[in-house]
Amino acid sequence: MIKMKHFRYYLFVIIFSISLSIEGKTENQIVADLSQENVKISTNFLGAKILLFGAYDGKPGDDIIVIVTGRKGLVTVQKKEKKFGMWVNTKKINYINTPKYLSISSNRPLKEILDENTQKSSQIGLNFLNIRTQPGSKILNNENWREALTRNMIISKLWSVNENSVILNKNALFRSYLNLPSNVTVGKFEVKILHYRSGKLISTEKSTINVSKSGFSAQIYNIAQNYSTLYGIFAVLLAVLIGWGTNLIFRKV
Amino acid sequence: MFYYNYTNNKENSMYIYLPIAEQPIHSLAILGVGTFLGLIMGLVGVGGGFLLTPILMFLGIPPPVAVASVANQLVAPSVSGVLSHWKRSNVDFKMGTVLLVGGVIGSSIGVILFNFLGKIGQLDFVIKSSYVIFLSLIGTLMLYESLRLILRKRKGKVSRGKLHQHNWLHGLPFKTRFRKSKLYISILLPILIGVIVGILAAIMGVGGGFIIVPAMIYLLGMPTSLVVGTSLFQIIFVAANTTILQASQNQTVDIVLATILLLGSVVGVQIGAKFTNIIKGEYLRLILSAIIILVSLKLLADLITVPSDYFSIIIHR
Repeated sequence: MIKMKHFRYYLFVIIFSISLSIEGKTENQIVADLSQENVKISTNFLGAKILLFGAYDGKPGDDIIVIVTGRKGLVTVQKKEKKFGMWVNTKKINYINTPKYLSISSNRPLKEILDENTQKSSQIGLNFLNIRTQPGSKILNNENWREALTRNMIISKLWSVNENSVILNKNALFRSYLNLPSNVTVGKFEVKILHYRSGKLISTEKSTINVSKSGFSAQIYNIAQNYSTLYGIFAVLLAVLIGWGTNLIFRKV
Repeated sequence: MFYYNYTNNKENSMYIYLPIAEQPIHSLAILGVGTFLGLIMGLVGVGGGFLLTPILMFLGIPPPVAVASVANQLVAPSVSGVLSHWKRSNVDFKMGTVLLVGGVIGSSIGVILFNFLGKIGQLDFVIKSSYVIFLSLIGTLMLYESLRLILRKRKGKVSRGKLHQHNWLHGLPFKTRFRKSKLYISILLPILIGVIVGILAAIMGVGGGFIIVPAMIYLLGMPTSLVVGTSLFQIIFVAANTTILQASQNQTVDIVLATILLLGSVVGVQIGAKFTNIIKGEYLRLILSAIIILVSLKLLADLITVPSDYFSIIIHR
Protein backbone atom coordinates (compact mmCIF):
# COMPACT_ATOMS: atom_id res chain seq x y z
CA MET A 1 0.00 0.00 0.00
CA ILE A 2 1.20 3.49 -0.77
CA LYS A 3 1.89 5.40 2.42
CA MET A 4 0.22 8.78 2.63
CA LYS A 5 3.44 10.55 3.56
CA HIS A 6 5.02 9.44 0.32
CA PHE A 7 2.06 10.62 -1.70
CA ARG A 8 3.74 13.76 -3.00
CA TYR A 9 6.76 11.75 -4.07
CA TYR A 10 4.70 9.24 -6.02
CA LEU A 11 2.53 11.93 -7.57
CA PHE A 12 5.67 13.70 -8.74
CA VAL A 13 7.07 10.50 -10.26
CA ILE A 14 3.85 9.86 -12.16
CA ILE A 15 3.60 13.40 -13.49
CA PHE A 16 7.23 13.43 -14.48
CA SER A 17 6.96 10.10 -16.30
CA ILE A 18 3.94 11.37 -18.21
CA SER A 19 5.72 14.59 -19.17
CA LEU A 20 8.74 12.60 -20.34
CA SER A 21 6.62 10.42 -22.54
CA ILE A 22 4.82 13.43 -24.00
CA GLU A 23 7.99 15.35 -24.82
CA GLY A 24 9.78 12.26 -26.01
CA LYS A 25 13.17 13.76 -25.38
CA THR A 26 14.63 16.05 -22.74
CA GLU A 27 17.71 18.14 -22.35
CA ASN A 28 20.22 17.32 -19.66
CA GLN A 29 18.48 18.53 -16.59
CA ILE A 30 17.52 17.75 -13.05
CA VAL A 31 14.23 18.43 -11.38
CA ALA A 32 14.08 18.15 -7.62
CA ASP A 33 11.87 18.85 -4.66
CA LEU A 34 12.09 18.65 -0.88
CA SER A 35 9.59 17.14 1.52
CA GLN A 36 10.16 20.15 3.75
CA GLU A 37 11.59 23.52 2.74
CA ASN A 38 11.15 25.27 6.04
CA VAL A 39 12.56 23.73 9.19
CA LYS A 40 11.20 25.32 12.35
CA ILE A 41 13.20 25.04 15.53
CA SER A 42 10.53 24.98 18.20
CA THR A 43 10.46 23.69 21.78
CA ASN A 44 10.27 20.06 20.68
CA PHE A 45 12.96 20.26 17.99
CA LEU A 46 15.22 17.20 17.90
CA GLY A 47 16.58 17.55 14.41
CA ALA A 48 14.87 17.06 11.07
CA LYS A 49 14.92 14.40 8.39
CA ILE A 50 14.05 15.78 4.98
CA LEU A 51 13.37 13.79 1.84
CA LEU A 52 14.99 15.14 -1.28
CA PHE A 53 13.61 13.59 -4.43
CA GLY A 54 13.63 14.26 -8.11
CA ALA A 55 14.35 13.14 -11.61
CA TYR A 56 17.34 13.35 -13.87
CA ASP A 57 18.00 12.48 -17.48
CA GLY A 58 20.42 9.64 -16.87
CA LYS A 59 22.18 6.76 -18.47
CA PRO A 60 23.38 3.55 -16.78
CA GLY A 61 26.43 4.30 -14.63
CA ASP A 62 25.56 7.94 -13.98
CA ASP A 63 26.07 9.36 -10.50
CA ILE A 64 24.29 11.88 -8.30
CA ILE A 65 25.97 13.85 -5.53
CA VAL A 66 23.95 16.01 -3.15
CA ILE A 67 25.72 18.73 -1.15
CA VAL A 68 23.92 20.64 1.59
CA THR A 69 25.76 23.67 2.97
CA GLY A 70 24.67 25.75 5.94
CA ARG A 71 25.62 29.27 6.89
CA LYS A 72 29.36 29.98 6.81
CA GLY A 73 31.27 31.68 9.58
CA LEU A 74 33.99 31.64 12.19
CA VAL A 75 35.11 28.38 13.80
CA THR A 76 38.06 28.31 16.21
CA VAL A 77 40.30 25.27 16.60
CA GLN A 78 42.19 25.16 19.91
CA LYS A 79 45.11 22.99 20.89
CA LYS A 80 45.91 21.82 24.40
CA GLU A 81 49.47 21.61 25.67
CA LYS A 82 50.93 20.49 28.97
CA LYS A 83 51.76 23.45 31.18
CA PHE A 84 52.79 22.93 34.81
CA GLY A 85 51.42 19.39 34.67
CA MET A 86 48.00 20.48 33.37
CA TRP A 87 46.51 20.44 29.90
CA VAL A 88 45.71 24.00 28.89
CA ASN A 89 44.48 25.49 25.61
CA THR A 90 47.56 27.33 24.41
CA LYS A 91 47.21 27.80 20.67
CA LYS A 92 44.34 28.50 18.34
CA ILE A 93 43.54 29.04 14.69
CA ASN A 94 40.46 30.90 13.52
CA TYR A 95 38.94 29.50 10.37
CA ILE A 96 36.77 32.01 8.59
CA ASN A 97 34.12 31.01 6.02
CA THR A 98 33.68 27.58 7.58
CA PRO A 99 30.33 25.95 6.78
CA LYS A 100 28.54 25.35 10.08
CA TYR A 101 26.68 22.52 8.44
CA LEU A 102 27.80 20.38 5.53
CA SER A 103 26.59 17.05 4.25
CA ILE A 104 27.79 15.31 1.14
CA SER A 105 25.62 12.44 -0.06
CA SER A 106 26.21 10.23 -3.06
CA ASN A 107 24.99 7.02 -4.66
CA ARG A 108 28.40 5.34 -4.31
CA PRO A 109 31.79 6.19 -2.74
CA LEU A 110 33.05 9.61 -3.89
CA LYS A 111 36.42 8.14 -4.84
CA GLU A 112 34.70 5.94 -7.43
CA ILE A 113 32.74 8.85 -8.91
CA LEU A 114 35.53 11.44 -9.11
CA ASP A 115 39.31 11.37 -9.21
CA GLU A 116 41.12 13.28 -6.52
CA ASN A 117 41.98 16.27 -8.70
CA THR A 118 38.35 16.81 -9.61
CA GLN A 119 37.36 16.41 -5.97
CA LYS A 120 39.90 19.07 -5.02
CA SER A 121 39.00 21.49 -7.79
CA SER A 122 35.27 21.21 -7.22
CA GLN A 123 35.66 21.13 -3.41
CA ILE A 124 33.79 17.86 -2.97
CA GLY A 125 34.97 16.11 0.19
CA LEU A 126 35.41 17.38 3.74
CA ASN A 127 39.17 17.85 3.34
CA PHE A 128 38.93 19.62 -0.01
CA LEU A 129 36.96 22.65 1.13
CA ASN A 130 38.42 26.04 0.51
CA ILE A 131 38.47 27.21 4.11
CA ARG A 132 40.75 30.10 4.94
CA THR A 133 42.49 30.91 8.18
CA GLN A 134 42.17 34.37 9.61
CA PRO A 135 44.95 36.62 8.27
CA GLY A 136 47.86 36.90 10.67
CA SER A 137 47.74 33.31 11.86
CA LYS A 138 51.22 32.22 12.91
CA ILE A 139 50.86 28.46 13.06
CA LEU A 140 52.66 26.75 10.21
CA ASN A 141 51.76 23.07 10.38
CA ASN A 142 48.29 23.73 9.10
CA GLU A 143 47.43 20.20 8.03
CA ASN A 144 47.00 18.77 11.55
CA TRP A 145 44.78 21.70 12.44
CA ARG A 146 42.67 21.33 9.33
CA GLU A 147 42.21 17.62 10.06
CA ALA A 148 41.27 18.46 13.64
CA LEU A 149 38.60 20.82 12.32
CA THR A 150 37.11 18.09 10.10
CA ARG A 151 37.31 15.46 12.86
CA ASN A 152 35.59 17.65 15.43
CA MET A 153 32.91 18.87 13.02
CA ILE A 154 32.10 15.22 12.22
CA ILE A 155 31.94 14.37 15.95
CA SER A 156 29.52 17.23 16.52
CA LYS A 157 27.39 15.75 13.68
CA LEU A 158 27.51 19.02 11.75
CA TRP A 159 29.63 17.66 8.93
CA SER A 160 29.00 14.32 7.27
CA VAL A 161 29.74 12.27 4.20
CA ASN A 162 26.99 9.80 3.39
CA GLU A 163 28.17 7.58 0.59
CA ASN A 164 25.57 5.18 -0.81
CA SER A 165 22.76 7.26 0.65
CA VAL A 166 21.42 8.58 -2.65
CA ILE A 167 19.14 5.97 -4.17
CA LEU A 168 18.86 5.89 -7.93
CA ASN A 169 15.95 4.33 -9.75
CA LYS A 170 15.90 3.35 -13.43
CA ASN A 171 18.41 6.05 -14.35
CA ALA A 172 15.66 8.60 -14.03
CA LEU A 173 14.74 9.09 -10.40
CA PHE A 174 16.72 9.75 -7.30
CA ARG A 175 15.96 10.25 -3.64
CA SER A 176 17.95 10.88 -0.51
CA TYR A 177 17.24 11.66 3.12
CA LEU A 178 18.94 14.76 4.51
CA ASN A 179 19.54 14.74 8.25
CA LEU A 180 19.73 18.01 10.13
CA PRO A 181 20.97 17.40 13.68
CA SER A 182 19.43 19.17 16.68
CA ASN A 183 22.44 21.48 17.07
CA VAL A 184 22.11 23.14 13.63
CA THR A 185 22.34 26.88 13.49
CA VAL A 186 19.62 28.87 11.78
CA GLY A 187 19.96 30.18 8.28
CA LYS A 188 19.52 29.35 4.62
CA PHE A 189 20.85 25.92 3.71
CA GLU A 190 21.89 25.55 0.11
CA VAL A 191 21.07 22.20 -1.49
CA LYS A 192 23.12 21.42 -4.59
CA ILE A 193 22.39 18.37 -6.73
CA LEU A 194 25.16 17.36 -9.10
CA HIS A 195 24.73 14.90 -11.95
CA TYR A 196 27.97 13.18 -13.08
CA ARG A 197 28.57 11.00 -16.10
CA SER A 198 31.91 9.11 -16.08
CA GLY A 199 33.41 11.69 -13.75
CA LYS A 200 32.14 14.73 -15.64
CA LEU A 201 29.56 17.15 -14.37
CA ILE A 202 26.70 17.34 -16.84
CA SER A 203 24.02 19.20 -14.94
CA THR A 204 23.22 20.80 -11.61
CA GLU A 205 20.19 21.91 -9.70
CA LYS A 206 19.88 24.10 -6.62
CA SER A 207 17.34 24.40 -3.88
CA THR A 208 17.22 25.89 -0.39
CA ILE A 209 16.08 24.82 3.05
CA ASN A 210 15.21 27.57 5.49
CA VAL A 211 16.05 26.79 9.08
CA SER A 212 14.56 29.23 11.55
CA LYS A 213 13.53 29.40 15.15
CA SER A 214 9.81 29.49 15.73
CA GLY A 215 7.19 29.69 18.44
CA PHE A 216 8.04 29.89 22.13
CA SER A 217 11.70 29.05 21.60
CA ALA A 218 12.15 31.82 19.02
CA GLN A 219 10.36 34.36 21.20
CA ILE A 220 12.61 33.62 24.17
CA TYR A 221 15.71 33.82 22.02
CA ASN A 222 14.63 37.16 20.53
CA ILE A 223 13.72 38.66 23.89
CA ALA A 224 17.06 37.49 25.36
CA GLN A 225 18.88 39.19 22.48
CA ASN A 226 16.89 42.40 22.14
CA TYR A 227 15.69 43.15 25.67
CA SER A 228 18.53 41.47 27.53
CA THR A 229 18.36 43.44 30.80
CA LEU A 230 14.57 43.12 31.06
CA TYR A 231 14.92 39.43 30.27
CA GLY A 232 17.43 39.04 33.12
CA ILE A 233 15.15 40.88 35.56
CA PHE A 234 12.21 38.76 34.46
CA ALA A 235 14.26 35.56 34.92
CA VAL A 236 15.11 36.62 38.48
CA LEU A 237 11.50 37.60 39.31
CA LEU A 238 10.21 34.29 37.99
CA ALA A 239 12.71 32.44 40.17
CA VAL A 240 11.73 34.52 43.24
CA LEU A 241 8.03 33.86 42.61
CA ILE A 242 8.51 30.11 42.20
CA GLY A 243 10.71 29.97 45.30
CA TRP A 244 8.16 31.91 47.34
CA GLY A 245 5.25 29.90 45.90
CA THR A 246 6.70 26.54 46.87
CA ASN A 247 7.31 27.84 50.35
CA LEU A 248 3.61 28.72 50.66
CA ILE A 249 2.62 25.28 49.39
CA PHE A 250 4.98 23.45 51.73
CA ARG A 251 3.88 25.50 54.73
CA LYS A 252 0.33 24.22 54.37
CA VAL A 253 1.34 20.59 53.78
CA MET B 1 2.99 19.39 4.48
CA PHE B 2 4.70 16.08 4.95
CA TYR B 3 7.05 16.05 7.88
CA TYR B 4 9.77 13.57 8.54
CA ASN B 5 10.51 14.77 12.02
CA TYR B 6 11.99 12.71 14.79
CA THR B 7 9.52 14.38 17.12
CA ASN B 8 6.85 11.89 16.08
CA ASN B 9 8.68 9.42 18.23
CA LYS B 10 6.97 8.87 21.59
CA GLU B 11 10.04 8.43 23.80
CA ASN B 12 11.45 11.68 22.50
CA SER B 13 8.53 13.69 23.80
CA MET B 14 10.44 14.10 27.08
CA TYR B 15 13.05 16.20 25.36
CA ILE B 16 12.84 19.98 25.40
CA TYR B 17 14.76 22.36 23.15
CA LEU B 18 16.72 24.95 25.11
CA PRO B 19 16.44 28.29 23.28
CA ILE B 20 19.72 29.83 24.49
CA ALA B 21 21.88 26.71 24.81
CA GLU B 22 20.45 25.82 21.36
CA GLN B 23 20.10 22.10 21.97
CA PRO B 24 17.51 19.64 23.24
CA ILE B 25 17.81 18.06 26.67
CA HIS B 26 15.87 15.37 28.57
CA SER B 27 13.51 17.29 30.85
CA LEU B 28 13.14 14.57 33.53
CA ALA B 29 16.90 14.17 33.87
CA ILE B 30 17.27 17.90 34.44
CA LEU B 31 14.36 17.93 36.90
CA GLY B 32 15.99 15.06 38.84
CA VAL B 33 19.36 16.80 38.93
CA GLY B 34 17.64 19.93 40.25
CA THR B 35 15.81 18.01 42.99
CA PHE B 36 18.97 16.24 44.17
CA LEU B 37 20.90 19.49 44.39
CA GLY B 38 18.02 21.25 46.13
CA LEU B 39 18.08 18.48 48.74
CA ILE B 40 21.77 19.04 49.46
CA MET B 41 21.20 22.77 49.54
CA GLY B 42 18.33 22.51 52.01
CA LEU B 43 20.33 20.20 54.26
CA VAL B 44 23.64 22.03 54.34
CA GLY B 45 22.84 25.45 52.93
CA VAL B 46 25.46 25.06 50.23
CA GLY B 47 26.16 22.87 47.26
CA GLY B 48 23.68 23.93 44.61
CA GLY B 49 25.96 25.57 42.12
CA PHE B 50 29.33 23.95 42.46
CA LEU B 51 27.92 20.52 41.67
CA LEU B 52 25.32 21.70 39.18
CA THR B 53 27.64 23.67 36.89
CA PRO B 54 30.03 20.73 36.26
CA ILE B 55 27.07 18.36 35.73
CA LEU B 56 25.54 20.69 33.11
CA MET B 57 28.87 21.07 31.33
CA PHE B 58 29.19 17.29 31.41
CA LEU B 59 25.73 17.07 29.77
CA GLY B 60 27.04 19.24 26.95
CA ILE B 61 25.65 22.66 27.87
CA PRO B 62 28.19 25.32 26.82
CA PRO B 63 30.06 26.54 29.95
CA PRO B 64 28.96 30.21 29.61
CA VAL B 65 25.27 29.16 29.42
CA ALA B 66 25.68 26.68 32.29
CA VAL B 67 27.30 29.26 34.57
CA ALA B 68 24.70 31.97 33.85
CA SER B 69 21.65 29.69 34.06
CA VAL B 70 22.78 28.13 37.33
CA ALA B 71 23.01 31.64 38.81
CA ASN B 72 19.40 32.17 37.73
CA GLN B 73 18.13 28.88 39.14
CA LEU B 74 19.90 29.46 42.49
CA VAL B 75 17.60 32.41 43.23
CA ALA B 76 14.53 30.20 43.73
CA PRO B 77 15.79 27.62 46.25
CA SER B 78 17.55 30.45 48.10
CA VAL B 79 14.31 32.44 48.46
CA SER B 80 12.45 29.33 49.49
CA GLY B 81 15.21 28.30 51.91
CA VAL B 82 15.48 31.73 53.53
CA LEU B 83 11.73 31.82 54.18
CA SER B 84 11.90 28.45 55.97
CA HIS B 85 14.92 29.45 58.03
CA TRP B 86 13.36 32.83 58.83
CA LYS B 87 10.35 31.08 60.32
CA ARG B 88 12.71 29.28 62.69
CA SER B 89 14.49 32.60 63.32
CA ASN B 90 17.75 31.31 61.85
CA VAL B 91 18.64 34.36 59.74
CA ASP B 92 20.90 37.26 60.77
CA PHE B 93 19.61 39.93 58.40
CA LYS B 94 22.12 42.55 59.48
CA MET B 95 25.08 40.29 58.77
CA GLY B 96 23.41 39.09 55.56
CA THR B 97 22.96 42.67 54.31
CA VAL B 98 26.61 43.54 55.00
CA LEU B 99 27.72 40.36 53.18
CA LEU B 100 25.50 41.02 50.19
CA VAL B 101 26.85 44.57 49.72
CA GLY B 102 30.25 42.96 49.22
CA GLY B 103 28.67 40.17 47.18
CA VAL B 104 27.00 42.51 44.69
CA ILE B 105 30.26 44.44 44.18
CA GLY B 106 32.18 41.17 43.80
CA SER B 107 29.77 39.55 41.35
CA SER B 108 29.81 42.66 39.15
CA ILE B 109 33.62 42.45 39.00
CA GLY B 110 33.29 38.70 38.36
CA VAL B 111 31.03 39.10 35.30
CA ILE B 112 33.49 41.58 33.75
CA LEU B 113 36.35 39.15 34.44
CA PHE B 114 34.25 36.30 33.00
CA ASN B 115 33.83 38.26 29.76
CA PHE B 116 37.54 38.92 29.53
CA LEU B 117 38.53 35.28 30.10
CA GLY B 118 36.06 34.18 27.44
CA LYS B 119 37.68 36.54 24.97
CA ILE B 120 41.19 35.20 25.55
CA GLY B 121 39.93 31.59 25.39
CA GLN B 122 40.92 30.56 28.91
CA LEU B 123 37.48 30.48 30.50
CA ASP B 124 37.27 26.70 30.62
CA PHE B 125 40.69 26.35 32.26
CA VAL B 126 40.04 29.10 34.81
CA ILE B 127 36.63 27.64 35.75
CA LYS B 128 38.06 24.15 36.21
CA SER B 129 41.25 25.10 38.02
CA SER B 130 39.44 27.44 40.42
CA TYR B 131 37.04 24.58 41.16
CA VAL B 132 39.96 22.27 41.92
CA ILE B 133 41.67 24.77 44.21
CA PHE B 134 38.62 25.91 46.17
CA LEU B 135 36.86 22.60 46.38
CA SER B 136 39.89 20.68 47.60
CA LEU B 137 40.73 23.37 50.17
CA ILE B 138 37.23 23.63 51.55
CA GLY B 139 36.54 19.91 51.33
CA THR B 140 39.62 19.08 53.36
CA LEU B 141 38.87 21.77 55.93
CA MET B 142 35.29 20.56 56.35
CA LEU B 143 36.33 16.94 56.52
CA TYR B 144 38.87 17.71 59.23
CA GLU B 145 36.44 19.82 61.28
CA SER B 146 33.56 17.38 61.13
CA LEU B 147 35.74 14.35 61.94
CA ARG B 148 37.24 16.22 64.90
CA LEU B 149 33.78 17.07 66.22
CA ILE B 150 32.46 13.54 65.76
CA LEU B 151 35.52 12.01 67.48
CA ARG B 152 35.35 14.49 70.36
CA LYS B 153 31.66 13.73 70.93
CA ARG B 154 32.37 9.97 70.88
CA LYS B 155 34.94 10.48 73.64
CA GLY B 156 32.25 12.17 75.65
CA LYS B 157 33.83 15.60 75.91
CA VAL B 158 31.07 18.04 75.27
CA SER B 159 33.00 21.08 76.42
CA ARG B 160 31.51 24.20 74.90
CA GLY B 161 34.61 26.31 74.99
CA LYS B 162 34.63 29.85 73.70
CA LEU B 163 31.95 31.10 71.32
CA HIS B 164 34.62 31.73 68.73
CA GLN B 165 38.33 32.35 68.33
CA HIS B 166 39.55 35.93 68.24
CA ASN B 167 42.29 36.78 65.76
CA TRP B 168 43.79 39.88 64.11
CA LEU B 169 40.90 40.03 61.61
CA HIS B 170 38.58 40.94 64.43
CA GLY B 171 40.80 43.91 65.27
CA LEU B 172 40.08 45.85 62.06
CA PRO B 173 38.38 49.28 62.33
CA PHE B 174 34.63 50.11 61.91
CA LYS B 175 33.55 47.65 64.57
CA THR B 176 29.85 46.88 64.55
CA ARG B 177 27.66 44.83 66.82
CA PHE B 178 25.78 41.94 65.22
CA ARG B 179 23.32 41.18 67.99
CA LYS B 180 21.80 38.08 66.47
CA SER B 181 25.18 36.44 65.80
CA LYS B 182 26.51 37.61 69.17
CA LEU B 183 29.47 39.23 67.42
CA TYR B 184 31.27 42.56 67.75
CA ILE B 185 33.56 42.72 64.71
CA SER B 186 34.80 45.05 61.98
CA ILE B 187 32.29 45.59 59.19
CA LEU B 188 35.16 45.39 56.68
CA LEU B 189 35.62 41.67 57.27
CA PRO B 190 32.18 40.50 56.07
CA ILE B 191 32.28 43.00 53.17
CA LEU B 192 35.64 41.63 52.04
CA ILE B 193 34.37 38.05 52.30
CA GLY B 194 31.33 39.11 50.27
CA VAL B 195 33.47 40.63 47.50
CA ILE B 196 35.69 37.54 47.17
CA VAL B 197 32.70 35.20 47.19
CA GLY B 198 30.89 37.38 44.64
CA ILE B 199 33.79 37.27 42.18
CA LEU B 200 34.07 33.50 42.48
CA ALA B 201 30.29 33.10 42.28
CA ALA B 202 30.13 34.91 38.94
CA ILE B 203 33.08 33.08 37.40
CA MET B 204 32.27 29.60 38.67
CA GLY B 205 28.48 29.70 38.34
CA VAL B 206 27.87 29.15 42.00
CA GLY B 207 26.03 30.98 44.76
CA GLY B 208 29.23 30.91 46.75
CA GLY B 209 27.64 29.10 49.67
CA PHE B 210 30.41 26.53 49.85
CA ILE B 211 32.92 29.33 50.41
CA ILE B 212 30.82 31.67 52.51
CA VAL B 213 29.56 29.03 54.94
CA PRO B 214 33.05 27.97 56.10
CA ALA B 215 34.11 31.64 56.06
CA MET B 216 31.20 32.56 58.33
CA ILE B 217 32.00 29.73 60.73
CA TYR B 218 35.79 29.93 60.78
CA LEU B 219 36.59 33.56 59.95
CA LEU B 220 33.62 35.43 61.40
CA GLY B 221 32.85 32.92 64.13
CA MET B 222 29.08 32.97 63.61
CA PRO B 223 26.88 30.42 65.39
CA THR B 224 26.35 27.40 63.10
CA SER B 225 22.56 27.58 63.42
CA LEU B 226 22.48 31.02 61.75
CA VAL B 227 25.00 30.28 59.03
CA VAL B 228 22.76 28.41 56.57
CA GLY B 229 19.85 30.87 56.62
CA THR B 230 22.11 33.92 56.47
CA SER B 231 24.21 32.57 53.60
CA LEU B 232 21.05 31.74 51.62
CA PHE B 233 19.83 35.29 52.22
CA GLN B 234 22.94 36.82 50.68
CA ILE B 235 23.05 34.23 47.86
CA ILE B 236 19.63 35.48 46.62
CA PHE B 237 21.11 38.90 45.86
CA VAL B 238 24.46 37.74 44.53
CA ALA B 239 22.74 35.23 42.22
CA ALA B 240 20.14 37.80 41.11
CA ASN B 241 22.86 40.35 40.34
CA THR B 242 24.89 37.76 38.40
CA THR B 243 21.82 36.67 36.42
CA ILE B 244 20.87 40.18 35.34
CA LEU B 245 24.47 41.07 34.43
CA GLN B 246 25.06 37.82 32.51
CA ALA B 247 21.76 38.31 30.67
CA SER B 248 22.51 41.91 29.69
CA GLN B 249 26.24 41.48 28.95
CA ASN B 250 26.50 38.02 27.43
CA GLN B 251 22.91 36.85 26.67
CA THR B 252 23.76 33.49 28.19
CA VAL B 253 20.89 32.97 30.65
CA ASP B 254 18.70 30.09 29.46
CA ILE B 255 15.41 30.69 31.24
CA VAL B 256 13.95 27.33 30.14
CA LEU B 257 16.92 25.39 31.52
CA ALA B 258 16.92 27.45 34.73
CA THR B 259 13.18 27.05 35.27
CA ILE B 260 13.23 23.25 34.94
CA LEU B 261 16.22 23.08 37.29
CA LEU B 262 14.65 25.37 39.86
CA LEU B 263 11.31 23.55 39.85
CA GLY B 264 13.24 20.49 41.00
CA SER B 265 15.45 22.33 43.42
CA VAL B 266 12.72 24.27 45.28
CA VAL B 267 11.03 20.97 46.16
CA GLY B 268 14.39 19.42 47.10
CA VAL B 269 15.35 22.35 49.32
CA GLN B 270 12.07 22.14 51.24
CA ILE B 271 12.48 18.44 51.91
CA GLY B 272 16.12 19.06 52.87
CA ALA B 273 15.25 21.93 55.23
CA LYS B 274 12.73 19.69 57.08
CA PHE B 275 15.55 17.29 57.93
CA THR B 276 18.17 19.83 59.07
CA ASN B 277 17.04 19.67 62.69
CA ILE B 278 16.94 15.85 62.66
CA ILE B 279 20.30 14.99 61.11
CA LYS B 280 23.36 16.17 63.03
CA GLY B 281 25.33 18.99 61.43
CA GLU B 282 28.72 17.33 61.72
CA TYR B 283 27.57 14.20 59.88
CA LEU B 284 26.04 16.35 57.13
CA ARG B 285 29.27 18.24 56.74
CA LEU B 286 31.20 14.97 56.68
CA ILE B 287 29.09 13.74 53.74
CA LEU B 288 29.29 17.07 51.94
CA SER B 289 33.06 17.30 52.40
CA ALA B 290 33.41 13.83 50.85
CA ILE B 291 31.31 14.94 47.84
CA ILE B 292 33.32 18.16 47.50
CA ILE B 293 36.64 16.28 47.56
CA LEU B 294 35.37 13.76 44.99
CA VAL B 295 34.24 16.50 42.60
CA SER B 296 37.58 18.30 42.93
CA LEU B 297 39.50 15.06 42.28
CA LYS B 298 37.40 14.39 39.17
CA LEU B 299 38.08 17.90 37.85
CA LEU B 300 41.77 17.59 38.69
CA ALA B 301 41.91 14.30 36.79
CA ASP B 302 40.35 16.07 33.77
CA LEU B 303 43.09 18.68 33.88
CA ILE B 304 46.08 16.36 34.28
CA THR B 305 45.19 13.30 32.19
CA VAL B 306 46.28 13.27 28.57
CA PRO B 307 43.26 14.41 26.49
CA SER B 308 41.92 11.97 23.88
CA ASP B 309 42.09 14.79 21.33
CA TYR B 310 44.52 17.68 21.80
CA PHE B 311 42.30 19.74 19.55
CA SER B 312 38.86 21.11 20.25
CA ILE B 313 36.60 23.48 18.34
CA ILE B 314 34.44 26.47 19.18
CA ILE B 315 31.64 27.14 16.69
CA HIS B 316 30.87 30.84 16.95
CA ARG B 317 27.32 32.04 16.46
